[in-house]
Amino acid sequence: MDFLLWYEEGPVGLFIRESLWGYPIVLFSHAVGMATVMGVVVALNMRVLGFAKELSIPAFDNLFIVAWLGFFINLISGLILFAGSSSTYVFQGSFQLKIGAILLGGTLMKFVLGAVRANKPAYIQKLLSIVCLLCWIVGVVTGRLMAYLA
Amino acid sequence: MFWEPFATWLESTWFHGVMIDIYWMFPLMETLHFLALIWLFGALLVVDGRVLGIVRFLNMKACMKFIPVAMIAFSFSFLTGLAFLHADPFNYLANPGFQWKMALIAIAGINALWFWLGEHKELLSLADGQQAPFRAKVIALISIVLWVFIIIMGRILPYTGGAG
Repeated sequence: MDFLLWYEEGPVGLFIRESLWGYPIVLFSHAVGMATVMGVVVALNMRVLGFAKELSIPAFDNLFIVAWLGFFINLISGLILFAGSSSTYVFQGSFQLKIGAILLGGTLMKFVLGAVRANKPAYIQKLLSIVCLLCWIVGVVTGRLMAYLA
Repeated sequence: MFWEPFATWLESTWFHGVMIDIYWMFPLMETLHFLALIWLFGALLVVDGRVLGIVRFLNMKACMKFIPVAMIAFSFSFLTGLAFLHADPFNYLANPGFQWKMALIAIAGINALWFWLGEHKELLSLADGQQAPFRAKVIALISIVLWVFIIIMGRILPYTGGAG
């Protein structure tokens, strides 16, 4: 908690609360990063679930580099936004759910790719894929609703 | 302004009342707008990423299956966006951020049409791993850049005018 207050009262917190254009710029970076990460997650999971079967899954690899780029944009912009009122966010249910969903969704993405690579039965691949996609969707929905459930 | 009669009409519809009176309608539409956006952007990343050569070993013909996905996702974005417009038409239509966003979407539409009419057929014959012609790559790059700016404009709308 001390750390959160220190972070919130430090220069990053001050910047995001007081700079006129700081907040919108960080906010739109967060939206662009989200579209990038989620775009790749959605496309890949659609493929694993059976859409456009002619697409080779290993050929998606470079899109994952793009997705990681989006993820880092979001990690950084997210940390800056978090500084705005970190000691409040940590107690907000929608924020906790969002972070949990993203961590679980990210881990499951690894499992999905692992299952594809290891040639696990289709139902295992698809089950992992659908739970993974749902986690990421929960991450987006709770992120959007954070503004309303404060 | 020329759009004022349109805004007046939007405010007179029953759906304006729905958007205003039911407090969870706006957040619901926003959430659906976000979900439609990620579906649209994901589909574009596959098609444009293949044409640009980022994922050139994806089968081009199969990538094109994401075009209808993009169109369905766009329809959802459009409809949920229309719901926001019903809620507060005067502020949106007068907002420079909103006007820019609409102009960029129109340009992205023309760009997509150019892709479909001018490049689509030729691209279908690409072998896996084969680079697309330069012209097609330019269109794909324009598409991604435009949509990034459309997302940016959408997200900063509340700061460029009076709309929420």
